[in-house]
Parts: sequence; structure tokens; C-alpha cells
Amino acid sequence: MKIFDSFRSALQSIIVNKLRSALTMLGVIIGVASVIAMVAVGNGASIQVQQQVLSLGSNLVTVTAGNQNSDTGLRGAGVQSMNLTLDDMTAIQAQLGPTIGAVEAEQSAGRWQVTAAGQNWNSNIVGVTTGYPQVRDWGLATGDFFTDDDVRVYAQVAVLGSTTAANLFGDGVDPTGQTIQLRQVFGGGGGAGGAQRARIVNFKVVGMLDAKGTTFGFSRDDQILVPTTTAQRVLTGRTNSVNTIIVKAASSDEMANTTADVTDVLLQRHKISDPASADFTVTNQNDTLAALNQVTGTFTILLAAIGGISLLVGGIGIMNIMLVSVNERTREIGIRKAVGARRRDILTQFLIEAIGLTGIGGILGILLGWGITVVVKQIPAAANIPIAITAGTVAIAVGVSVAIGVVFGLYPAMRAARLHPIQALRYE
Amino acid sequence: MSAAAPSTSGPVIRLRGVTKTYRMGKDNIVQALRGADLDVYPGEFVALMGPSGSGKSTMMNILGCLDVPDSGSYVLAGEQVRQLNDDQLAAIRNRHIGFVFQTFNLLPRLNAIENVELPLVYGGSARGRTQRAKDALAAVGLGERMHHKPTELSGGQQQRVAIARALLNDPSIVLADEPTGNLDSRSSAEILSIFQRLNDLGKTVVMVTHEPDVAEHCKRIVRMRDGVVSGDELVPQPRRAEDELRNAGAGQSVDLHSGTITHVPAAAR
Ligand SMILES: Nc1ncnc2c1ncn2[C@@H]1O[C@H](COP(=O)(O)OP(=O)(O)OP(=O)(O)O)[C@@H](O)[C@H]1O
Ligand SMILES: [Mg+2]
Repeated sequence: MKIFDSFRSALQSIIVNKLRSALTMLGVIIGVASVIAMVAVGNGASIQVQQQVLSLGSNLVTVTAGNQNSDTGLRGAGVQSMNLTLDDMTAIQAQLGPTIGAVEAEQSAGRWQVTAAGQNWNSNIVGVTTGYPQVRDWGLATGDFFTDDDVRVYAQVAVLGSTTAANLFGDGVDPTGQTIQLRQVFGGGGGAGGAQRARIVNFKVVGMLDAKGTTFGFSRDDQILVPTTTAQRVLTGRTNSVNTIIVKAASSDEMANTTADVTDVLLQRHKISDPASADFTVTNQNDTLAALNQVTGTFTILLAAIGGISLLVGGIGIMNIMLVSVNERTREIGIRKAVGARRRDILTQFLIEAIGLTGIGGILGILLGWGITVVVKQIPAAANIPIAITAGTVAIAVGVSVAIGVVFGLYPAMRAARLHPIQALRYE
Repeated sequence: MSAAAPSTSGPVIRLRGVTKTYRMGKDNIVQALRGADLDVYPGEFVALMGPSGSGKSTMMNILGCLDVPDSGSYVLAGEQVRQLNDDQLAAIRNRHIGFVFQTFNLLPRLNAIENVELPLVYGGSARGRTQRAKDALAAVGLGERMHHKPTELSGGQQQRVAIARALLNDPSIVLADEPTGNLDSRSSAEILSIFQRLNDLGKTVVMVTHEPDVAEHCKRIVRMRDGVVSGDELVPQPRRAEDELRNAGAGQSVDLHSGTITHVPAAAR
């Protein structure tokens, strides 16, 4: 039997039983649509997470104080824990200099009231070192970053985030060379007429960062960068300690080596022989990404499994209706056999009919899935997720639909093919 | 258009001691054929007669390779049918045998052309398929109603569609199980005239019938009883259906010399 005849006959029988065919396809349509939509949204979410992690800077190895891998409550009693210091950073720079991309140390100085040009604003102050632009892949829109000299002499200089600058000086105004006043109020809070003390410090603006947008829901453009030393001595008073040291590896492939090297340097400096009892934690951005990908991947698999189950149910529906169809068309099968149809002719005819049902169902499912992603994109919270139905997803969906047609259509088709011509002709 | 008999001397159909038993449940066993013998030679026109239940249809199904005997031998054009598998039997049904049923057995969803095309869907060349189907329909006098579905045709017309289908692959043997059983006498005569025409062209025809009138159109009458052949006689002077139709003033004119049957539309009912 020519394949064209099989297709024509399959299509005819699908069209003749429009309602039944539509209802039968529904299971496959819903299954494929949910798989398509869920995988698209899931992939989009994981791409977004990845982009956001990388927007903090790429190939980063981060050192934080304290051992997050062990129970410090038990261990801390015996081991004298040391803080991370600027000297640690300098040591990393000195010992690993040629093998790493860049390094910087950060010390948060908390939120301060900022006043400039008669405007008030509240912003986060972070002490950083001169490696910051390189480590974070973050250039300046105007002015220059502060220098190593500024860090050495704890100069009162600041680089503003673009949002901060806009709020203090107005949109599009270059804040370089202006002076800002940081102010922190102690005591009182809501207390009426209490003993309030305020610290007021002046900073000179030397530059403004490029706008970066939001990461994980937080604006990264509302911050003020000052030299780490200035944050330590002038703003927080905690001399010499830093929250984090961030090393940028030379390349993604070098991250494991860099992680090991940084660990070695710090263990040596802190005089710790057992890495398990280190008083710092080194995190590798690749590991973070992998962990996040695992989470989103698990989520995607879970959603796809739900779709898979509805595909299975859809497949059983196909099988059921094909068995009914074979039964109804017993006489037709007898007639076809009487004029010379072989087993495989009947088999292909019914198999193609089943594949036609699941194939059309698959295509409608892809369209419905695409429709769902369009709707999801209208949800404000999901507006930034790069939802994309890839050619691969579509190919897999079509493939799976056809496979369901084959798997669940095979048994009914085999039953049809095995019918005895005379018994089929005598069937009422 | 020649009867493709492999040898003019030997029989094209040879049954020897053929048995067929139907089992319906444990105790209900029907011996439909109990050792039937039959020889049919190329170019014969045989009527198969006998009381109801005597095994005529069972024998026809075996002759048509729709069924196989339990025992005994069936040699078709020199080939032992019992040794053939399902697909080989299908190929024989497709190429060498045209089968006409009492109940027409047309596919209700297909129109006349599509029904007639069916054997070519499963064998032979697809080229010119539709044209061949149209020619076959014209040859049985249905040139006008080719696009009608079976339900839109009379019984006689449906049977002519079925005959056109049976003839499409130019088989050497035409088997018909009570082809006129569901038809009035005028339609029966039309069908008979087609079969006689085919026989004139050299095709071997075997036809089951209950009516002596119908059997008198054949060249030979084989009688069955209780699953065996019980009588065999030649018809000295077979009646000609087309003469009867002409005498009855029917709208059939037959051109014996060119071997085509033409339908006169004005007389079409
Ligand atoms: N598929 C079947 N299953 C069971 N019994 C059957 C089957 N086909 C035929 N028979 C039985 O076999 C016997 C012969 O049947 P067959 O149809 O060959 O008779 P027939 O001569 O064609 O009769 P009729 O003139 O009524 O058509 C009958 O008793 C019938 O009941
Ligand atoms: Mg019968």
C-alpha cells in the first residue's frame, strides 16, 4: 500500500469522526502543551538565574570569614578564629598575582543618610578596593575609580551608583567633583526629643558607575563605593577586617585551581593545617551555578514528569479509541483483505491513523503550549524571564507524540492486521 | 484481455478431498466440507448449486483464497495453496482472483471510483489508477454514477461497482457467491450478461446460485450436498442474458464484436 493512500485514509477517518478524534487528541494536546510550556518557563528561569549570577561578575572565587561547612558552635571553642583582612587580600595578590585575573576586598559600611545639593537620599555604603571594576566587570559612566593611594590614605572619596547619583543630582547630571555628606543618627530613633547624636562625614565624588539594573529583585545601582580603608576607619571603626575577598580567576577553566590556591594561601597565613577547620569559606561561582542549575533542573524535570504522565494517559486514550475503531471497522478490514491487503497494509493504515491522531495532537499541543508561554509573559513577575520554546523542545515534543502514536497504536493495529478475512467479512 | 491460464490442457482449479470444519464452542462442530473434489478448466462458466448449508460459500471462500482447507489439496493454476502464507494468499486475491459477494461488500465512505481502485491500492501499478477505475466502471455500464457513494446506488448498480472492482487487476478467475441473490430479475439479467461477456473474453467464472433460471446461463452446473459435490452436468444450450434483456426492451445494447458493453443513458433508471 502506498504510504500516500495510508495517510489519505487515516486523515479521512480522523475527519469523519471529528468530535471523537478531538476528544481523543485532548490528552495528547494537554500533555504536550504542559511539557512545552513548563520546559520553556523552567529553562527561562534557569537562564535568568544564571544571567543574574554572572551579572555579579564572572569567574568569581569568593572568600568569606567563618567556616560555613562545619558546626562552629562545637569547633569554635577550640580554634581561635581570625577575621579576613586587607593583608589577606594583599597576600593573595602578591602570591597569585600572575595566575589570577584580579582581586578585591569588600567591607560593608551599612546604610547612611546622604545629602547633596539639597537632596536627601538613603543608600548603602560599601568599602571596596581598586580591583572592584575589574572583578565585577563593571565600568564607570563618568569620572575615574579611586586609586591605591586613596585606599592607602583612607581618602574620603566615593563612586556613586547611577540610581543614587540620579536621586541626588538629577537624571543625566555628572556628579563627578561634587561633594556628598554622609550622615548617621544614633540613639532615639522614634524617641521624641531624645539624646540623638549624628555623625556627619563629607566625601568627594570621583566617578559614577554604569547602570546595571536589578539582580534577584534588588537594584544594584543604588550604592556608594568608598575605599575599604575609609569604610573601616571612618565609617565603621572595625579596623582591618573585611567581609569578603573576591578573586576573579583567569578563566572559567582555572576556577578550580584558583580556588585551591586561594585556600592554600589563606590556610598558611592563618596557620591552619587542617583544611576542615579553616576559619574562612571559599565559594566558587561555578559551584554556585551548578547548585542553582540543579535546583532549576530538578524543577524542570518534575514539571516535565507531570506532562509525561498526562501524555501517558493521553496515549491510553488513543489506544482505547483505536481498539473501538478497529472493532467498528472489522468489515472494512475484511473487504480490504479480500481485495488483496496484506497484514502490513492494514497495520500501517491503523498505525498511521494513530500517529495522525497523536501527531496532530502534538502540533496543537505545541501551539497551545506556546500560547501558555505568551500568557505567562504577561504576568509582571515573569516579565523578565527569557521564556523561549527552542527548536529542540519542539522536535522532542513532535517525536514524543509520534512515539506515543506508535506505542499505543501498535496493539490495536496488530489486532486489525491479524483478522481473518472471512471472519471479518461475516462480522456484524 | 486473455484468460491467463498457464496451460490450456490442465484444470485451473483442482480440489481434492477438501474438508473444512467450523467449531463454535465445545459441542457445536459443523463439518461444512467433507472431502469435496472439483476440477474447473480455463474458460469454463460454472454454476454451483445446492441446498442451504451444503457448503457452497465455504468452498467459494477456499477457491478465492479467503480461507484455507483443513485438509485435502487445492491446486490453483499449478500452485499448492495450502503451502502459501497469509501475504502470498493476499497477493493471489489481489492479482489472480476477482471475488463478487452477495452483499456487494463496498466501503460505504468511498465513492464508486475509490471502491473500484481498491485492488490497485494494494498491488499493481498506481499509474493511471483513477482512469482504469473509470474505464472499468464504464465497462459495466456505470459511466454516469462514478462519483456516487454506495448508499446512493441501487443494488444492481452496487453489484456492478463490485464487479468492476473484481476486474480491475484483470484476474483470470472470477468467483461470485450468489451475486444476484439480492437483486430483482432485471438487475440479475444485467449482471449475468456481464459475466457472460467476461466468459466470452476467456475468463473462468464460478458462480453460486439458488435459482435454476440463473444457472441455465452457465455452461456447467455443479451440485453440492452435505459438504461434497453430488452432481455435475453440462448445460447443452446456455441462455444468453443480453438476448433476454433486448427482448424485454431493456436499455442495454451489446456490441459483441468490439467486446464492450455500452450503457444507453436514456434508459437508465
Ligand atoms: N464462520 C462459520 N462459523 C461456523 N459455522 C459456519 C461458518 N461458516 C459456515 N458455517 C456453517 O457451515 C455450513 C456450510 O455453510 P455455507 O455458508 O458454506 O453454506 P451455503 O451452502 O453457502 O449455504 P447458503 O446457501 O445458505 O448460503 C453451515 O452449516 C454453516 O452454518
Ligand atoms: Mg452461502
